[in-house]
Amino acid sequence: MNNPHHLNPTSLKSRFTTRFLRALTKIRAQKPISSSSPTEIFRRYRRIKVAADKSMAYSVRSRRIWSRAMLWKLRSRSYRRQDPCSGRRSGKTNQAIMKKSSNGNITRRREDGVGFVEEADELRQLVPGGETMNLCNLLDETAHYIKCLTTQVQVMKKIADFYSF
Amino acid sequence: MESNAGTTETRSNVTVSDGGEVAAFESLQFTEEIHRLISAPATDNASSFTALLGLPATQVVELLHSPESVKLIVASAPNVEDFKGSFHFPSNTGLIQKDARFSVFSGEGNNKNEKSNSPEMTSKNSSANLEKAVKSEPAETASSLPLVSDPTVENRNIKRKDREKKVKGSTKKSKTATNESLEDAEKLPYVHVRARRGQATDSHSLAERARREKINARMKLLQELVPGCNKISGTALVLDEIINHVQSLQRQVEFLSMRLATVNPRIDFNLDSLFTSESGSTMDGGNFPSLVTPLMWPDVQVNGYRQQFQHQWHFDTLKQPIWGREEVCNNYVTPENSLLSYDSSANSAATLHANQLKMEL
Repeated sequence: MNNPHHLNPTSLKSRFTTRFLRALTKIRAQKPISSSSPTEIFRRYRRIKVAADKSMAYSVRSRRIWSRAMLWKLRSRSYRRQDPCSGRRSGKTNQAIMKKSSNGNITRRREDGVGFVEEADELRQLVPGGETMNLCNLLDETAHYIKCLTTQVQVMKKIADFYSF
Repeated sequence: MESNAGTTETRSNVTVSDGGEVAAFESLQFTEEIHRLISAPATDNASSFTALLGLPATQVVELLHSPESVKLIVASAPNVEDFKGSFHFPSNTGLIQKDARFSVFSGEGNNKNEKSNSPEMTSKNSSANLEKAVKSEPAETASSLPLVSDPTVENRNIKRKDREKKVKGSTKKSKTATNESLEDAEKLPYVHVRARRGQATDSHSLAERARREKINARMKLLQELVPGCNKISGTALVLDEIINHVQSLQRQVEFLSMRLATVNPRIDFNLDSLFTSESGSTMDGGNFPSLVTPLMWPDVQVNGYRQQFQHQWHFDTLKQPIWGREEVCNNYVTPENSLLSYDSSANSAATLHANQLKMEL
């Protein structure tokens, strides 16, 4: 059970499901629902959301640029939550990197020379790690990201349907 | 005249290729040729010889002035010596006349050293045939005059013996001569290099076109992935649609995680027991449905269903574990039927498109 790789490594869906279910179990085991207050629900929602993203990125592993960027973001986020001092520092570096990448983005925009610059920039902000991609990579990663998001939505919908029965 | 030119050319070619081994045979040939040369008008002879000169007039002058360059040419065409050796044995008057004519043409090349430089012309004839295509020099043909003088012939013989001594140490210079000729030859490919530079700029546009085609192929793939995007034309609109789709998917994920956060915690225990109890059956490969199905039914039912499921699992071909498992899952959970089938079709379609993309690229 602890080794999910022997399951079916070729199926992204099964990998994500295994990881996500385990994360859900852990979340519920750590914080059994005592109250249905909005803050409690919101906190749980945040954790589930992070768990969903994380299990998605982990099941893709570092094969894709977007999954790498997402993992990096989540890791820095978890560090920030654990240690506020180092978290502030990592946040600063994060901002610096973002600034750098946005600058590079501006220069790249000129050399792209395509008619849909604004749309591409909008897409760059949606896809994780898209700020550092060129247009070709961006479209490639977007295709894979959409595929993974669709899988994620389907699995989560199924699990939610199970729970709400 | 043309026949004369042809015979002289073949003669020099024979001496170059065969060398001293066929010297005796060549001497016979020469006597015949020389007879023909005598019978022909002198002006024709002049033009035929000048036609064999490959080098420009300035270079000729330069070569004839310096004794080192003389050695140089002789070394580059060493067969000339054999040629000379055969040249002497037939004691013919016509031969002597031909020698005299050689001296005359060299004298036209540089007007000062008429007598001393006469043999260089013959050597230059053969060397010109060695390295370059035959060119005509209009300046020399125009000023060619039939002059015959016997004393020059005697001087020439003496000079040739002197030069034969020098030949041995002059191999290095011949290399520089060939280098010069190579540099001349490289001027032509330089034009080709410039043409390649022009092609390089062209290849830039080619690369740009390839990149655009790549982007277009990816856009097509994305259009296939995003539902309702096939009808839209225009990359900007398609990208807008893609952005909307991604945003909606992300919002759906948020909504579903919210829904999971507010869901009834009654099943939590079920999940925990699932992870502890199902560890044995995970080895079968049917992990996914056995993870999910126990959430809905009590344990007894689950066991029964699982046995049924395992039967089905055994009947399924082991080559397609994913689809088989998902089909099994569909048997239990009817609402997910459409979703799962859609997913499998979408996955296969995506892989198909990826293959298509690879083929296109």
